[in-house]
Amino acid sequence: MLDSLDLSSAPGADLAIEVAGLCKSYGAVRAVDGLSFSVPAGEIFGMLGPNGAGKSTTVEILIGLRQRDGGEVRVLGRDPKRHPTAIKRRIGVQLQITALYPRLTVKETVRLFASFFPKTLPIAEAIARVGLEEKADDRVDRLSGGQAQRLSVALAMINDGDIIFLDEPTTGLDPQARRSLWDVILELKEAGKTVFLTTHYMDEAERLCDRVAVVDHGQIIAMGSPAKLIRDNFHEQALEFNQPALGNHVDLQTLPGVIRMQQEGESTTLYTDQAPRTIAALMEASANANLPVSDMTVRQATLEDVFLKLTGRRIRE
Amino acid sequence: MKAFIQLVIANIKELLRDRMSMFWFIAFPIFFILLFGAIFSGSEDTASFAVGVVQQDNGPIAKGLDAALASMPVVKLHIGAQDAELAALRKGSRDLVIILPAGLSSAVKSQHRVEIPVYYDGTKQMSSQVGIPLVEQVLNQVEAQATGHPLLLEARPQAVQAVTLKEIDYLLPGILAMALMQLGLFSALRLVSLRERKILKRLGATPLPRGLLIASEVTVRLLLAMMQALLIVIIGRLVFGVTIVSSWYLVAAWVLLGACTFVSLGYMLVSFARTVESGQGIVQLVQFPMMFLAGTFFPISFIPGFLQPFVKAMPLTYLADALRQVMTGNPPLFSIGADLGILLAWFTGSLLLGIRFFRWE
Repeated sequence: MLDSLDLSSAPGADLAIEVAGLCKSYGAVRAVDGLSFSVPAGEIFGMLGPNGAGKSTTVEILIGLRQRDGGEVRVLGRDPKRHPTAIKRRIGVQLQITALYPRLTVKETVRLFASFFPKTLPIAEAIARVGLEEKADDRVDRLSGGQAQRLSVALAMINDGDIIFLDEPTTGLDPQARRSLWDVILELKEAGKTVFLTTHYMDEAERLCDRVAVVDHGQIIAMGSPAKLIRDNFHEQALEFNQPALGNHVDLQTLPGVIRMQQEGESTTLYTDQAPRTIAALMEASANANLPVSDMTVRQATLEDVFLKLTGRRIRE
Repeated sequence: MKAFIQLVIANIKELLRDRMSMFWFIAFPIFFILLFGAIFSGSEDTASFAVGVVQQDNGPIAKGLDAALASMPVVKLHIGAQDAELAALRKGSRDLVIILPAGLSSAVKSQHRVEIPVYYDGTKQMSSQVGIPLVEQVLNQVEAQATGHPLLLEARPQAVQAVTLKEIDYLLPGILAMALMQLGLFSALRLVSLRERKILKRLGATPLPRGLLIASEVTVRLLLAMMQALLIVIIGRLVFGVTIVSSWYLVAAWVLLGACTFVSLGYMLVSFARTVESGQGIVQLVQFPMMFLAGTFFPISFIPGFLQPFVKAMPLTYLADALRQVMTGNPPLFSIGADLGILLAWFTGSLLLGIRFFRWE
């Protein structure tokens, strides 16, 4: 299986993670169904997909918490099934559900986790990197969601590992807390770390990831840089508006420039390669039918559109 | 080692900051001791003396002594055989036992000196300081009336070896055993809670060996057990004057064995539980019957026969029995070797089953 991986791509390009034909089932459910990908050292690699797509299972197999049913895995050149402890020493992990000792302080928690590794960053430095200096002596159960998540990332950084695994690091956070965590993640890349990130936020993947694997039902349905994924799937712009009844009066697909159309609840999206002409025609149709459109936006396609196109579904929580 | 120490410190900090747990940890044994100590320790009756008389002589002097004793309002007179009366003294239901030897009356008539053995309970000051002079006074009176020579009858006091025990001497080791049982059985629930909150999973993503985590958990529980035992012994001593009859080391060793046994049993029990709630249910199911059937509050001979097989299978029965023997010198229900053997069997058995069945996820 490993033969199928391109191990000799660029000279000196170390592969931090290599996965080929990875499978894992829970009973009759195939959580991970033949994943193959590799992550060069120093890259931020994202797995993007809805809940239940198999992202967490993949992470747990890579970090040696779970046994795979089939396929090959190498993390830092070693098989996590056979060398879990050696790998765990050289990686940092943030799991999806932040679970820590509630009555310890931030500093005590970082010190505890530091004691599990032979070599670590200074406690204060790990806390400073995630911007929790002022909360260092606060108990974990009194942190906000964003602060707890940042503490969790500090724990993932404490051993100065080569790969940092972040499983949905920003889920449930408010926009400001998400942005401040993004900065922390981008700093990890600057420090030369490989970051393996799972998310179901499109904007997060676009903003952070060098490459993204879009996964659904345990399979990769597209992979590449965010820009490439969008370019490959869309030459066109997306025209979004609210007026579900309009489609009953006019065949929107025949408007000038329209390549494809997507209806999602109240919202209609027309993908067009001639946006001005399409808008003009849409306005005219709307006036003729006396059905004003609302909330109209024109935008470049995003990963969200890619997912929608590939699966026919939106990627919501 | 660094990880082990940090885990122990973290665990202790978590406990100290958990006010509810700390309250129960300290208050529970104190409540029990004070409550039951107060209920049972009011029974030392100082208003009267239970005097046993063993009448081996039926002469007039002996009868005169009986009558004189019986006429005293503070004396409750029991007449019986020597074995029975001495046994009653050892059990604490007599304060004094007077032996009136055969040939007493005729010896006095012929002007011979006669020694009257008076057995008393060495642990009760009332018996020796008030009771014996009382008997000497009675002897002199009776003798003077009979002969006019009040010098022939001589009381010969003899302290009985077996100390008589107060109820608190029975209760205190039982309460200690019970406290150890509860501490031990509930200690494993913390691991279930760590699992439920996914902290175990998070720790599993670090190189920390599982064995080290368990070792740190168990170490903290054993430390707590020793502290709680010390607390109970000190309260027993300060409030109720209970003294340790054997060495403190021996008591500490039994406390440690008891704690190990019940911690292991706790781990075994929760290995069948998925959640903290179900774990609590299982532990309660085990600890409640043990608390009442293992002779914590009353001797196991009070328990009806059909329950005796359970009583004799429970580890708490043997821990309480052993602690009673080494702490306060209660008469053994089982030999100390039997106590040791059965506790060790429970310890190793539950340890092995716990290791075999505990689920990490």
